[in-house]
Amino acid sequence: MKLCIACGMPMTKPADYPLGDESKDYCIYCARPDGSMQSYPEKLEGTTDFLIRTQGLDRQAAHAAAIRTLAQLPAWQGIQKTMDTPSGD
Amino acid sequence: MKKTVRELQKEQTKELLLKTAYEVFSKKGIMNTRVSDIAQAAGVSHGTIFVHFRSLEAMIEEVVALYGQKIAMRTHVLAQSSGSLSDLLHAHLGGIMEFEPFYTRLVIENRLLPPGARDSWISIQSAVSFHFSLVYEREFGHNDRSGILLHMLFNMWMGLVHYYLQNGDLFAPEGNVIGRYQDILVDSYLKLLKGGRAEK
Ligand SMILES: [Zn+2]
Repeated sequence: MKLCIACGMPMTKPADYPLGDESKDYCIYCARPDGSMQSYPEKLEGTTDFLIRTQGLDRQAAHAAAIRTLAQLPAWQGIQKTMDTPSGD
Repeated sequence: MKKTVRELQKEQTKELLLKTAYEVFSKKGIMNTRVSDIAQAAGVSHGTIFVHFRSLEAMIEEVVALYGQKIAMRTHVLAQSSGSLSDLLHAHLGGIMEFEPFYTRLVIENRLLPPGARDSWISIQSAVSFHFSLVYEREFGHNDRSGILLHMLFNMWMGLVHYYLQNGDLFAPEGNVIGRYQDILVDSYLKLLKGGRAEK
């Protein structure tokens, strides 16, 4: 079983892949409508919104948690150095 | 590249240490455990532990990350086949049950743990909230008359489950909170949810 390189979700069936394409290393939730992978800023915003919507976290806490959890994933290695967000915290 | 015997042995020792630490943490509590407890339980010297881990903090972070991932994965696998919210809540508890003593320690101690472990905690909850939101929206989404926000429903469920685990010594002194309360927790929560909807 593959884990999505961009969010860590296990991908177990064709419907987990963008446009059902099982050769991809990222999941449907990390893809844009055309099947390409989201950029870091897009994923960061999506993860932050997900934490707020489903768990009710404070926006700043969610943003900080999203940065830390994304930093663990293969797709975003080294990204923080270039992006090291002042992030308004 | 092929691994040398020495590298393989090193990996095996590390696996043993992670598993032993998990067991000791489950039994004694995470912050209550000293390096010497783990060394003794694993039958290795104090020094061996520091060959594999920078510090006890680093070890705690790795154990929580590893087992947090296992818990999240188990939840994910069980949740995949959940058609209804009832199935999903049972799947959630089923995932916890396999790791109950350790998960309970996380419930009680997670805010005191090193930052990396706190992040693993968020990841476990995200695996659940992800499926919760999918199933909830499928089952109630178009017809939600409760007026209660998704995250409040999720947090009410989590609050209930974690309250029982946190006080497990009072609810199930034999140490089997989930096994004993699984049905009544799920049924009561769903009744509350559906009753609230019907009244409006
Ligand atoms: Zn993904």
